[in-house]
Amino acid sequence: MSAAELAEITGLTLRVGAVATAAILLPGVATGLLLARRSFRGKALVQAVIALPMVLPPVAVGLALLLLLGRRGPLGPLWSALGIELVFTWWAAAIAAAVVGFPLLARACEQAFAAVDPGYERLARTLGLSPLRAFLRVTLPLASRGVIYGALLAFTRALGEFGATALVAGILPGRTETLALGIYARVQLGEDRGAFWLCAISFAIALASMLIAETWLRSGGSRR
Amino acid sequence: MSEAATQIRVDLSRGDFSLDVDLAWDARVAVIFGPSGSGKSTLLEVVLGLTPAAAARIRVGGSWLDDRERGVRLRPEQRRLGWVPQDALLFPHLSVAQNLAFAAGRSAPPAAGPALAHAIEALEIGDLLGRRAHQLSGGERQRVAIARALASGPRALLLDEPLASLDLPLRARVLRHLLRVRDEFEIPILWITHDPDEAQIAGEIVVVIENGRVVASGPPREVLWSRSVLPLSQSLGLQNVFEAQVVETATHECCVETARGLRLVLPVALRVGERVGLSLRADDVLLAAGPLALVSARNLLPARVERIEITNGNALVTLDVGERLVARLTAGAVERLALRDGSPVHAVIKAQALRRMA
Repeated sequence: MSAAELAEITGLTLRVGAVATAAILLPGVATGLLLARRSFRGKALVQAVIALPMVLPPVAVGLALLLLLGRRGPLGPLWSALGIELVFTWWAAAIAAAVVGFPLLARACEQAFAAVDPGYERLARTLGLSPLRAFLRVTLPLASRGVIYGALLAFTRALGEFGATALVAGILPGRTETLALGIYARVQLGEDRGAFWLCAISFAIALASMLIAETWLRSGGSRR
Repeated sequence: MSEAATQIRVDLSRGDFSLDVDLAWDARVAVIFGPSGSGKSTLLEVVLGLTPAAAARIRVGGSWLDDRERGVRLRPEQRRLGWVPQDALLFPHLSVAQNLAFAAGRSAPPAAGPALAHAIEALEIGDLLGRRAHQLSGGERQRVAIARALASGPRALLLDEPLASLDLPLRARVLRHLLRVRDEFEIPILWITHDPDEAQIAGEIVVVIENGRVVASGPPREVLWSRSVLPLSQSLGLQNVFEAQVVETATHECCVETARGLRLVLPVALRVGERVGLSLRADDVLLAAGPLALVSARNLLPARVERIEITNGNALVTLDVGERLVARLTAGAVERLALRDGSPVHAVIKAQALRRMA
């Protein structure tokens, strides 16, 4: 396989991961904060539902997404009316990646916020800060390591997403073929060398992200 | 009649705990005293606006912060109250200087600069500015928290058990700084404590709270020794407390004098002019009636008996030695010395029995 092909697949994979992570960042932080700071009825159910994409077979998640995003599903008329075609585009791959990455991010954020003493935010309010500004200047910086760790985890998970992505995005060379899909397709076609190269790149990216995540967390160990 | 500068009415219930107080005073420095779990901290949180109450009417330092009849209900960020929580709560992601700047940045512009500089000087934290919270000792953390509250240019200072989390030796040091703040900063102070000695030395008035209700209020040295409050204040370690200034010093001792002219000898050499807070257990005061033989104790104070209260064989004898001084004797001793109101006696106090609490 050509270098251009490798670069294309790698680029698409990183783009899918980045878009997916960026899209879930705000909702993930908000969900984590809600779960860490508020108690409400049905909280356990909400937590269980959020964790579902993490524990369900990815193919099942993919099928659910196909129904939601496809023209033949219940939302089909809406997509038709809006002229939006999501299935079998890289957007679908990004959505699948976002859905499976979200629980990882939300959970990491929940833990990060739960570890911050709410007293700091209360104190900031007595010093004249609105609740939002107190959150941005005190709680968020104090939880930032956990949030960033969660985002890296979600990003890395997105890079490796296979089952759900294969169903909603298909394996279309140059359009939806990510690293994970590419490896599978090449093994099916007997192109072992190509599969090996894609594996190597996946390995390198995953290792780099986890290294960043771990050193990031370690360096913050003495701060609190 | 003009309205009291500080008024606090709070009605709140939470599970089987309820807080129902209605207070008003004009004193600048007020102490809320009570055992842990009595509702003191909750009261402070309602004043700060951090805990909602079923009914609240709050005026601090002459301004209404919460009064539904007047349609006033300030949010915590609008109240401008300098809160010093028990555990300091210094922002761990910021240095000491940044913690102070965080507060100063929000203060009303005219107060900011000088107030911050004065706070740093009064609390002697100039050398700590580059450090982070985890690099500070407990006492240093508390001093920075007090400076941070002052730096915000508050309308009042709210101290929640400022010494409770500290070891004894550190307490004296932080208390000294707090008394300096009390004397040098002209702002109202609401000081919460469960330590009767701290309550006596800190405030002009004390409000005693038990189980969410006010049980007494008035001048600390009268209220805490009064018959109804005594069991509580004694269980929390009530002692005689004096504030004094060093007037003479020698190699191994010095002489201090209180505002009312009582002179005491301490077994340490201190600088002339230095201010001290002293505590003395009522059990450590001896009384002598009749002529005094030669005794080793350094403090022989001519006194007059003001009041004798006998309960369960224990006698609390209140004396006038220039200051009010309480001695605890057995009922038998009172009988043997034939003590009664107005009796002239000598109070005998060893220099070592006087502990420096500030």
